[in-house]
Amino acid sequence: MANDMERGGGRGRGQKGGDKGQGQRRTMFRRRRVCKFCAEKIDSINYKDVKMLASFIPERGKIQPRRLSGTCATHQRKVQVAIKRARQLALIPYVTD
Amino acid sequence: MASRQYELVYIVSPDATEQQLADLQALIEATVSRFGGSLDNTENWGRRKMAYEIGPHKEGVYVLHQITGAGDLVKELDRRLRVADQVIRHLLVRTDEELRVAERDRLRRREAAARRRAARGLPPEPEVAEPRVEGEAQDQDQAGREA
Repeated sequence: MANDMERGGGRGRGQKGGDKGQGQRRTMFRRRRVCKFCAEKIDSINYKDVKMLASFIPERGKIQPRRLSGTCATHQRKVQVAIKRARQLALIPYVTD
Repeated sequence: MASRQYELVYIVSPDATEQQLADLQALIEATVSRFGGSLDNTENWGRRKMAYEIGPHKEGVYVLHQITGAGDLVKELDRRLRVADQVIRHLLVRTDEELRVAERDRLRRREAAARRRAARGLPPEPEVAEPRVEGEAQDQDQAGREA
C-alpha cells in the first residue's frame, strides 16, 4: 500500500522515463539520522549566524527539507524562521540562479 | 508596563555620510528614551555586501541594536525607520520569548543530567558533557544503566 503510493508520487514528480532513477535517488543524498541541534545541544537558532544557516541552504537557495537534513520538527521550524529573517536582511539570497 | 526585549537590524544606504549615520543613531536613541525604553547594546557590522540588490544598492551598512521596551515604542520605531530615507531595509523582532525558551531548555537539560548522574550513584555536579559519538553507543549506555 505504502509502496504503491510512493511509486505513484515518484512518477508524478519525475519526467517521463524517470522511474528508473527511483532506486538511485535514495542513495544520492546523504542521510543524517540525528537532528544537528539536538545532538549538539544548541538551544537558540539565530538569524544572524549566516555560516550555520548556510548548511541548510543548498545551491539553489531553497530551504533544505527535513527528510534530507534530518532535523527534528521543532528545530526545523526554528531554522525556517531564521532563514526567512536572514533573507529579509539580504544576508542570504531568496534565489540563486 | 510590560517590558520586552527586541532586536533591531537596519541597513543604511552605503552613500550615507558619517553625519547621517550619527543622526539616525541619535533618532533611535531619542525615540527609545522618550518611550521609557533602554538601548542595551549596539553593534555596527559595517559595510557588507548584500545577498541581493535592494533598489540600486549592492551593499549596505548594517547596524544592530538590542532594545528593551514596550510595544508602542516598537511601533513608533518601526514607523520612523520606514520613513527614514537613508534606511533601505530594517528588521525588528522580539527576542525575549526565544531567550526564555532557550534558558528553560538549558535548565531542564541540566536537571535531567543531574538526575541521571544521581541514578548512577555519581555526584550530580561534575558536568563534563561527553561527546556523543554513535547513536548505538548511547543506547547501550542507557541499557546498562537500567540493568
